[in-house]
Amino acid sequence: MYMDEMDVGQRKGDFSAVVASNRRIGDTFWKLRLEFGGEAADAFRTFRPGQFVQIDAAGAPLPPLEQIPETLQDTAERQVMLRRPFSFTDLDVQKRKTVGEILYCVVGPATLRMTMLRPGDGIAVIGPLGNGFRVPEGKRTALLVVGGMGTAPLQHLARHLAYDHKEIDATVFAGARTTRALPFERRQDEISQGLGFALPEFSRYGMESFIATDNGTAGFHGFVTDCVGKWLDENHPKPENTIVYTCGPEVMLAAMAKLAAERRIDCQVSMERRMACGIGVCQSCAVECRVPGSNETMYRMCCKDGPVFDSREVVFGEHN
Amino acid sequence: MSVGFGGLRLGGCVWTASGTCGYADELGEFMDMDRLGGFITKSITLEPRKGNATPRIVETDSGMLNAIGLANIGVERFIEEKVPLLAKMKAAVFVNVAGREIDDYVAVIDLLAGVEGIAGFELNVSCPNVKRGGITFGTDVGLLREITAAAKAAAAGKMLMVKLTPSVTNVSEMAAAAVEAGADALSLINTFTAMVVDIETRRPVLANRTGGLSGPAIKPIAVYMVNRVYNEVAKERGIPILGMGGIRNASDAVEFLLAGATAVAVGTASFVRPASAVRIMDGIERYCERMGVGAVAELTGALL
Repeated sequence: MYMDEMDVGQRKGDFSAVVASNRRIGDTFWKLRLEFGGEAADAFRTFRPGQFVQIDAAGAPLPPLEQIPETLQDTAERQVMLRRPFSFTDLDVQKRKTVGEILYCVVGPATLRMTMLRPGDGIAVIGPLGNGFRVPEGKRTALLVVGGMGTAPLQHLARHLAYDHKEIDATVFAGARTTRALPFERRQDEISQGLGFALPEFSRYGMESFIATDNGTAGFHGFVTDCVGKWLDENHPKPENTIVYTCGPEVMLAAMAKLAAERRIDCQVSMERRMACGIGVCQSCAVECRVPGSNETMYRMCCKDGPVFDSREVVFGEHN
Repeated sequence: MSVGFGGLRLGGCVWTASGTCGYADELGEFMDMDRLGGFITKSITLEPRKGNATPRIVETDSGMLNAIGLANIGVERFIEEKVPLLAKMKAAVFVNVAGREIDDYVAVIDLLAGVEGIAGFELNVSCPNVKRGGITFGTDVGLLREITAAAKAAAAGKMLMVKLTPSVTNVSEMAAAAVEAGADALSLINTFTAMVVDIETRRPVLANRTGGLSGPAIKPIAVYMVNRVYNEVAKERGIPILGMGGIRNASDAVEFLLAGATAVAVGTASFVRPASAVRIMDGIERYCERMGVGAVAELTGALL
């Protein structure tokens, strides 16, 4: 970890943000932009890719019943007490305010409520939380490996690499079960069968992107990690100059960690766990990690010790 | 607004509850910890414990279940790494003690009894999330007497508080047993053993299958139990009650005080708003001003 990337000195807090925009970008995917002013603007100015916030959506109203998909009508009735963790897809640091963008998928009572947020609404946000991605010295090639909603922190990382690490060439691999499960702005009918086409979320930073779908409805037919393996075979970057950044379902992270280890490439994984507090007090979000120099394992906290871990540390499980 | 609690004089009547406030450094980023009346550590055991597999929590309507499994660094590392920081706190620091056998509890208390900066112990005889120990002691009158007496002897004059489980038929019977065996204070309630089922997988959501229910969902039961223990056990014996269970705001806290609590503890609410405890303290002060109450102690058991 290097000075410019350390999280020390960053002050976290329980802040109020103002909704700048909140729009639907796909079947179940939405983008929420939050503005932070005053003290919060300062606190979030140094928010790093891979860090996260805890959003209190309990106070937002539910959408009208007829707008709630049948599959979510039972869960919609549940009361929301806990906050929900989200990383940023983008961070825009302006003179007097800091704007963070959240990508979310509507899956339950909190995210259903979030769809009702309107520009100007206030919302409580705790952050910046956790440790973000790190960029070790000497890297020239970065592979951003995305599984579905795991794209969020990697989009923010892409921006960081493009602006602050021009020495690194980054390539993006995005996988999902089907085309419809890809949480990108590009209209589904535009997604070509070709392997290399541009996802605007990454091409804006000049990064090439590849799509993989489990059912072959777009791009590479198969797992995204196989697509990465094929790319490595064809491009053979120097392992010591290469790094993989990945976020997505745990089974994908495990496969990516294994592939990276085989190729002797550094790999940082952003883990996901059910969280209550997000600040290290509830001890809910345990990630099983190897104890260095022994066969023992220990639990580290996703919120405080992670969510980004070195892939060699993590004992991957069946979580998703 | 200072308040007496047994032999202690506290700076305030709001505490943070065990297992919801870490080792103090985490919440300190969000509020002035010196304003707390008391601080109760997460459960400390003789040996370090990894805790349960995940998922360890699940949200429910107006509450949540947790099954952390007493994850902690063990008493030796606790003394080395955490006590120096805790000893600097103005709040009364209580160490929550857990174990499998009575000897485990006694061993932990022995190691801490002479340590400066620790005001007392909270005996965890009510954890629903470990296979042995924990709640077994809190549901058996004989065992509860035995462990309380052993802990009291080991505590060497430090205050001993026993944390009661609500998962019994007669909570007063347990409270009386604890007090008769030497408890200086009672804290109640711990969480309720509960289960949430994932109907898609037909499995309990928690890896531990069951967990402890906390949050606003349990508050009315907690208020009732505090009132019952106050009337039937604590009042006549002058034993202070630390009331807890779903306290989210000052009104909730005042309900507990009126029901018989001398002080209150905030737990799950800190997960949502890390500064909850201090916010609640401010609210209680405003309530006292509004009602013309000069001291928080006047509220204890003032239920009509």
